[in-house]
Amino acid sequence: MAHLEINSLVKKFAKTKAINGISLKIFDGEMVGIIGKSGAGKSTLMRLINRLIEPTSGSITYNDIEITALKGKNLREWRSECAMIFQQFNLIDRLDVLTNVLSGTLGINFKILKLFKFYNKREKIEALTYLNNFELSDKALQRVDTLSGGQQQRVAIARAMMQNPKILLADEPISSLDPKNSKVVMDDIKRINNQNGITVICNLHSLNIAKQYCDRLIGLSEGKIVFDGNPSSLTNELAEQLYDLENE
Amino acid sequence: MSNKLLEKHLSLYSSQLKTRKLWNILVVFLLTISFLISSTIIDFNFSNIVNGVPRLGDYISQILPSLDINLIFENSETEGSIKYWYFNFKKYAFLLYETFNMAVVSTTIGFVLALILSFFSARNITPNIYGYYFVKRFLEFLRGVPEIIYAILFVWALGIGPLAGIMAISIHTTGALGKLFAEVNENVDLKSCEAIRSHGGNWLSEMRYGIIPKVLPNVISYTLLRFEINIRASTVIGFVGAGGIGQELYLVINFNYYEEVSAIILLIIITVIAIDISSSRVRQKIVGEIND
Amino acid sequence: MTDKDIISLCPRAFQPIWKRSPIVFTGFIFFVSYFLFCLYLFDFSVSKIVIGFSNMKPVLTAMVTWKDFFNWNFSSIFSGLAQTLGMAFLGTFLATLVCIPISLIASKQFFKISIIRFLIKRLLDIIRGVDILIWAIIYVRAFGLGPFAGLLSVFTADLGTLGKLFSEAIDNADTKQIEGMKATGASKIAVIRFGLFPQIFPIFISQSLYFFESNTRSAVILGVVGAGGIGLQLTERMKAQYWDQSLFIILLILIMVTIIDTISRIIRMKIINE
Repeated sequence: MAHLEINSLVKKFAKTKAINGISLKIFDGEMVGIIGKSGAGKSTLMRLINRLIEPTSGSITYNDIEITALKGKNLREWRSECAMIFQQFNLIDRLDVLTNVLSGTLGINFKILKLFKFYNKREKIEALTYLNNFELSDKALQRVDTLSGGQQQRVAIARAMMQNPKILLADEPISSLDPKNSKVVMDDIKRINNQNGITVICNLHSLNIAKQYCDRLIGLSEGKIVFDGNPSSLTNELAEQLYDLENE
Repeated sequence: MSNKLLEKHLSLYSSQLKTRKLWNILVVFLLTISFLISSTIIDFNFSNIVNGVPRLGDYISQILPSLDINLIFENSETEGSIKYWYFNFKKYAFLLYETFNMAVVSTTIGFVLALILSFFSARNITPNIYGYYFVKRFLEFLRGVPEIIYAILFVWALGIGPLAGIMAISIHTTGALGKLFAEVNENVDLKSCEAIRSHGGNWLSEMRYGIIPKVLPNVISYTLLRFEINIRASTVIGFVGAGGIGQELYLVINFNYYEEVSAIILLIIITVIAIDISSSRVRQKIVGEIND
Repeated sequence: MTDKDIISLCPRAFQPIWKRSPIVFTGFIFFVSYFLFCLYLFDFSVSKIVIGFSNMKPVLTAMVTWKDFFNWNFSSIFSGLAQTLGMAFLGTFLATLVCIPISLIASKQFFKISIIRFLIKRLLDIIRGVDILIWAIIYVRAFGLGPFAGLLSVFTADLGTLGKLFSEAIDNADTKQIEGMKATGASKIAVIRFGLFPQIFPIFISQSLYFFESNTRSAVILGVVGAGGIGLQLTERMKAQYWDQSLFIILLILIMVTIIDTISRIIRMKIINE
């Protein structure tokens, strides 16, 4: 079965080892939650997967393709198969919602005309369909920074979907949102995982949410995996150790 | 506070005051020396000023028009009327139009080139570190050489006329705007770029969607400011034969057509002030709209 | 939902660009056409530029072949540089001194007679509307060739710009400190000295230093019309077609300007951090 395999991955920043030897396998269709306190290496791990950051040593393979060795066009192709959503949405503030969603196609289907904001009809229809599913189609031509946080994150999800990704990397997607919007966004992510079969790897700092939505939890502490398994088998002691404090 | 603490504070304070005073004396000393040295070099002394001022007054009164209040609106044959003062108005108007167009064209060319080059001379987004050093030094060189020097060279190469002026001002503008644009690029927040990269976008897409929307208001503002400066530059670049109203002004000054001097200078002042005002209005409007 | 339904959700997105954002579109088309029209007016053609650059080739080669290096007239070159620095320094210095009282008068906070304020501001505008080179020509006519005319040009041009900047700084000054001083019943001069000066003095110095930088550049070109300095040395050599010496002078100018830039930046940083 198709899977993402990480082998003895190490990432050093100056003298600190942010990722200190991680090995794991993630199979297609899983919804994995990565938990741990700030600085444990969650964001770094995520960015190593789509190579926004380069590893110091170790390897990542997907279906026997060496991700860590990809270059140029192949690397960009891999990145377009891994969609990413961010804690601060990382949308293009001054542009409208529709263009933001359409910019997700820059990887899978790059055309010079797109630099001038000319996209083809099929892509516009696809983008509007996603926006419509999120009930945001009436805001399609509004500037994206006029939307609320929850709405912006959903625009980011729509943008990610335009890539037809195999993997969705969600880097603290709800950390900037209030509880109500957090639920909406996590529901959307869960639905994407269920309906489209997209593998989801999700950084979460809220243990409750992680337990609620993810099939599998991976706990990171100081760059190493300290837990890997079903949420129900996460004991309270282990949870406290992960977060150095009371369970939320 | 105990006495000891108070004493300690007082002595610290007075020693700081002393250092401050010493610094001030040093600065005043340096300034005076520079003043004296400069004055000797330039021959700036009282007698020169006293001798020169009446000559300046003479010159000014010569170039001012002799307008007779009774005849002000008479036709161009009558001495003392405005029409007589501005008998060459058609020529001036045409030259001013040419000057304006020179500024438009050179600012546009400079803007486009500077924008493209600024992506390479910004440390955080340049695709190639050697390219960065090269483009940065290149832009500094373009900016460092005064426009008029370029104009002299281009008049030599292309002949007298506005083409030389346009080339000269464009090249200098590229350097000046390039430096400003690169600074803006270096201070921009790279989150959108990261997002585009994570979608598999290439460097061009990152620049177009990640950087350009963020820097656009500053870029336009700087360009409009540069346009104001370039209008001024276009008015005087004709002094070396590079076209525009400067050529005519140089002529009338050298031939001592006194009243034409004031006529042209007045037109230049009006044009520059008009452009300054409209440019700042447009700048406010654009920055306001983009920030809506 | 069918494609048609989706399109009807946001029909404007599917319209051609001239319907979607007509203003931007027409503006862009207008600008491009005007630009091309100007190129036509100026008889611009790529062949001309190419011919021009090939004309430049002998000049450019001559610039980099330095002949007879040790016989060049170095004393005139370095005295030219000294003159330029002197013009820039003196001009900026005197203009700063004069602009301090002028800007006080021109600011709303300290002078109530608005007619005078208005006139001063307009006068400064007019001075700024005239490029420094024009002042240079006039002063050369009145005072003769040489750096004295250059000094006056720098001084006059700075009057206009520094005057405006200083009065803006005063107008934007924090009124709380001034009101505080006024409330103690201090005399007008004391209010200015203690309520206003500490705020604006760093700004004044900072602006003056910035303009000293910029004036060094301007002072260079004044020589082109005979107002002394290194510009005069440069133009003379260019007219005589001593291209190698010309490049040498240009490089010296660049070095001098860079040094002044750096010194000025360091001092300005220190002032801001005080």
